[in-house]
Amino acid sequence: MEKILRINMGADGGPKVKTEPVGSYAGMGGRALTSAIVSKEVPPTCHPLSEDNKLVIAPGLLSGSAAAMSGRISVGCKSPLTGGIKEANSGGQPSQMIGRLGYAAIVLEGKPKDDALYRVYINKDKVEIKADKSLKMLGNYAVAEKMKAEYGDKVSCISIGPAGEMKMAAASVAFTDMEFRPTRHAGRGGVGAVMGSKGVKVIVVDDAGCKARSPKDAEKFKEANKAFVAGLRKHPVTGQGLPTYGTNVLTNVLNEAGAYPTKNFMWGRFDGCSKISGETQAETENARGGEGSATHGCHRGCVIRCSGTFYDKDGHYLTKQPEYETVWAHGGNCGIDDLDAIAMLDRLDDDYGLDTIEMGATIGVAMEAGIAKFGDAQAAINLVKEVGKGTPLGRILGNGAAVTGRVFGVERVPVVKGQAMPAYDPRGVQGIGVTYATTTQGADHTAGYAVTANILGVGGKVDALKPEGQIELSRNLQIATAAIDSTGMCLFIAFAILDQPDTFQALLDLLGSFGGRKLTGDDVVGLGKSILKMEREFNAKAGFTKEMDRLPDYFKKEKLPPHNVTFMVKDSDLDQVFNW
Amino acid sequence: MKTPTQPSPAPMDLSLTMSGSAVSRFFPILGEGLLVRGPGAESVEGFLQKAAGVSPAYLKDVVQTVFLDGRALDDCSTTVLGDGAVLALSAAMPGLAGAVLRRGGFYAAMRRPISHEGGGAAAAGAEITVTLKLFNLVARDLGPGLLGRGILLPGSRLKDFIARQGRWIWKGCRGATVDGRRVGVEEVPGLIRPGREVVLTVASEQ
Repeated sequence: MEKILRINMGADGGPKVKTEPVGSYAGMGGRALTSAIVSKEVPPTCHPLSEDNKLVIAPGLLSGSAAAMSGRISVGCKSPLTGGIKEANSGGQPSQMIGRLGYAAIVLEGKPKDDALYRVYINKDKVEIKADKSLKMLGNYAVAEKMKAEYGDKVSCISIGPAGEMKMAAASVAFTDMEFRPTRHAGRGGVGAVMGSKGVKVIVVDDAGCKARSPKDAEKFKEANKAFVAGLRKHPVTGQGLPTYGTNVLTNVLNEAGAYPTKNFMWGRFDGCSKISGETQAETENARGGEGSATHGCHRGCVIRCSGTFYDKDGHYLTKQPEYETVWAHGGNCGIDDLDAIAMLDRLDDDYGLDTIEMGATIGVAMEAGIAKFGDAQAAINLVKEVGKGTPLGRILGNGAAVTGRVFGVERVPVVKGQAMPAYDPRGVQGIGVTYATTTQGADHTAGYAVTANILGVGGKVDALKPEGQIELSRNLQIATAAIDSTGMCLFIAFAILDQPDTFQALLDLLGSFGGRKLTGDDVVGLGKSILKMEREFNAKAGFTKEMDRLPDYFKKEKLPPHNVTFMVKDSDLDQVFNW
Repeated sequence: MKTPTQPSPAPMDLSLTMSGSAVSRFFPILGEGLLVRGPGAESVEGFLQKAAGVSPAYLKDVVQTVFLDGRALDDCSTTVLGDGAVLALSAAMPGLAGAVLRRGGFYAAMRRPISHEGGGAAAAGAEITVTLKLFNLVARDLGPGLLGRGILLPGSRLKDFIARQGRWIWKGCRGATVDGRRVGVEEVPGLIRPGREVVLTVASEQ
């Protein structure tokens, strides 16, 4: 991946393509590259939907190689939701294909001078850009079908739905999966709105005639990959729990812990939890679609296979297996205990191109405002349809929980830096609250997700019994996560790394043998720190202050039943997270 | 004058025979809680071994996450169970939350306000009833044995569970008996009374 593809959508005479060497960005991938380009090339104070913003799509360092689990992709820009730097991550097929085409990144720049909507086609020989009115306001599913009819089913698509075209701050970018369905999304932060502002509806990626990327030390790479896969398969989380139940396996556990945000973060436990748990979901999928329906990868080369396929009551495909965060956002958070309704909401979100977390949180706020009743599944479906149609109410909802709360006068709005919190109440799991508050991305559970900090030894030994331990843990997790996000590796590899030092070594060997240099844990830590530093500097220049690294006040005042706890980490401690 | 209380009716005995892997349709109900009666004054580990047949080795190696009365528990060997306790068992879980909730895990400090402090005491010799919830792989591992021997449930819980599964729950059901009488599967929901406990036995026909 020695080149960057830049498409200036605002050039005189129409979009212009330029391919250039990676230059000073050499050796970077995924989040490291998106954040480097955004922080260096995008004016921090620009309007996120202006010509000055850039949308950077970057496969991971190992994407396009034969490395297992390496098909994740990063999408970066200045976020219309948070106003700060953004990296949203997705699975799907395009990452491997872009890597094989040799591109370290595709950068959409400028802004069309008219309201034309474009499609981009990329193969090994050419980049073709055409205006295509027929794509206007199509859902992601229809776009994928149209592209498949034209280009065949061996290509992959990166697209936006109507939400992206309407430049809504909750709009996602969709990536097609192994079945050519637009089910994998870079969901967070409104990256779809930025793609919409560039006038690009779909990028078709065709890697026909391209070979897998070759490692520098092929023999060592092969050995390391084998050991890495074996490590993932033998670990109970990556080898059994996730493949059997998917991420929604967390529902019962978080609910039992009393940390499952329910009805817009009013309670920590949901009565209807068992009806929407991962166990129930997996049994439902397997009963309706046959054994194995609950186990599926999100991209080729995935050996964990934490996804699945959800079938409706008549046994027809409805959507991919909704993730834990989706089931929570549209389920418990809205008082909805109907898996079929939640799956329908997931399908609508995917088709309109919306972040499921932001939409579920937004509907929760709307329910608190009295727009619909908690537990009313049909009302929730109708609200998402309003977003898809772009009605005045839909435009409000499609711009996220913060905007919706402001418009309808709701105080309990669970956001940080304008982005909705995911499925873990920070009063129950306080360390996650530290990450929500301080991450560069706005409230984001994946910003501090890579439970490898103890292995990496970041920041020395943590004393778990001291209050400041929360701060150190969050810091270390954010550093480790930023590094893994740059490799193109799925974050779920972290569990095998956490418990099995030999699997961590296999990952280092995989990265080292691919690039031809020996890597250590310190190198990984250094990479993570450098990414966070770039992102923090961008946000500071965009106007972010330490006062924005806070949870909303009500988390410090309102006790969360059943354990009646508040968020107790002091502001002065939060200010120490990046003090390394 | 004191009104004599009605003795609780004996639990209804519902036995189902399912084909092969169809037994798993009933695993999710294990996560809602079954009633387990056993000796008082026992540690979590001792109670599980004596009353539910869960070996200490399985508890140590597979059950990575334990909740007692909704709080994450780190020490199963000294914490004593009382009557009416709710105990939930889970295998290792993904996500940071999974790592945080793990028994004695590196990230346990991140959930201190919802951790169980351990301890507790109960009178020796008295029988206690504990609601036991089995989640995910623990339900899959222990489910066939427990369901094969029979689990005790409130009738309302089973009735509600069957109702929301729809027709899929009976896929692969080869036969049903209620209190020893052979019945059609379509009759089963109507025979379950919310106020009467049920001993549910689900056997696998290979």
